Amino acid sequence: MLPGVIIAILVVSGIIIVLILVSIGIYNSMVSLRNKVNNSWSQIDVQLRKRYDLIPNLVETVKGYAKHERETLEKVINARNMGIDASSVKDQAKAENMITGALKSLFALSENYPNLKADQHFSRLMEQLNGIESSIAYARQFYNDMVMKFNTRIQTFPGNVFARIYKFTSRDYFEIEEPEARRPVEVKF
Amino acid sequence: MYEQIAKNRTKTVFIIIGFMVFITMIGFALGYYIDYRYGISGNYSILFMIFALILAIIMSFSSYYFSDRIVLGLTKARPISLEENPRIYYMVEGLSIAAGIPMPRIYMIEDTGMNAFATGRNPANGVVVFTRGLLENLNDEELKGVISHELSHIKNYDILLGTIIVVLVGMIAIISNIILRSFIFGGGRRRSSRSSGGGILSVIFLVLGLLLLILSPIIATLIRMAISRNREFLADSTGALISRYPAGLANALRKISKHSQVEVASNATAHLFIANPFGGKKAAFSNLFNTHPPAEERIKRLENMSLGVGV
Repeated sequence: MLPGVIIAILVVSGIIIVLILVSIGIYNSMVSLRNKVNNSWSQIDVQLRKRYDLIPNLVETVKGYAKHERETLEKVINARNMGIDASSVKDQAKAENMITGALKSLFALSENYPNLKADQHFSRLMEQLNGIESSIAYARQFYNDMVMKFNTRIQTFPGNVFARIYKFTSRDYFEIEEPEARRPVEVKF
Repeated sequence: MYEQIAKNRTKTVFIIIGFMVFITMIGFALGYYIDYRYGISGNYSILFMIFALILAIIMSFSSYYFSDRIVLGLTKARPISLEENPRIYYMVEGLSIAAGIPMPRIYMIEDTGMNAFATGRNPANGVVVFTRGLLENLNDEELKGVISHELSHIKNYDILLGTIIVVLVGMIAIISNIILRSFIFGGGRRRSSRSSGGGILSVIFLVLGLLLLILSPIIATLIRMAISRNREFLADSTGALISRYPAGLANALRKISKHSQVEVASNATAHLFIANPFGGKKAAFSNLFNTHPPAEERIKRLENMSLGVGV
């Protein structure tokens, strides 16, 4: 009788130890994924901040040549301030879409001012801005990849069980509206 | 991905250990030779062996830390700045963000041939190198494809293995060359002065000499085995995942494969490049001894990727 009891105790405690080890592993991997998501978000943040720093400079330069285009310039400034104040991923994405749109109309405006287009400082700012915007796009791609990995982990079994216990919640994708890309292709005969 | 990183680390450790064993054996043989030749009782073999082991450890450490500089020196590459070429700078910066690695340093080789490689010991110390011909002849999408390919070599730690091999194997080649020469000369002198000195000694040296003779092709094979051609395919597909545009790299390879010759490339560094730096001629005579898979095969796989879903 006694050896049987000992074996049973050993087996049960063995199973418990294995379960504990496995759950430690799952928990740690979820934490490390969450840290990766946070880190990739800060990558986006760095690029966004670069753009915020550049915008006042750009606005000043444009002002020198096109004083009476106040409305467009204000739109850019307002969008920038909105981006700085944004707290959630969704708000941030919305503000960034506005900035991108406002900057586009600023470029369109520059077409009307040949002197502005010829300005060396302006063209250098434009070059920097293009570089930053492509960096933002890449950072967004990396962030969204990480979010997808994290969300998949906490929504599938057995991750979903642990996610509920430890209160891991799904993260938002950084989505960008691209009206041109979304619009259906017009076919003309 | 993580599997590949682990594989590369293990191979690097094995190569360093192999290198240490080799150097220590040489030290022992040298000591043994001196003992025998001058009749001093067996202390030199141990002494030389320890000395060689210490030397091998120093060499391994320095090759770990400085191999990227040695490779950059061998290929005569120089750093390029943001001011000099903002186009490539912003592309590398953006794509390294997408790959999730720190931005590597950018170097350029003054050569009209189109080629590129990456070096360094880890992503934090990564370097990407392009030839002038590559930067001037590829359009943005193609260049992004090439950059993504090189960044995935960095991310996979292919650069650690590839760069260490250049230096350690290069050193072994030099050392075995020296020994082989001194054996030939030393052997000649000995025979003329002391005809009775033969026996076991000449047998030992004959074996050692033969061993070293056999060694150089083995070294070449070792490089090719360690740097399996699969990693080019792997870097192609990981690269496509970074740039999200496999056709870019496919088009780039089509252009590169016709003009990939780089003058500064040697047998020691050839395996680092994205395409065979000796041009297409060598590929024709033997597929087996090539460090690079044929460009057509790579292009075909990339194009199949672009048809697939999800990328």
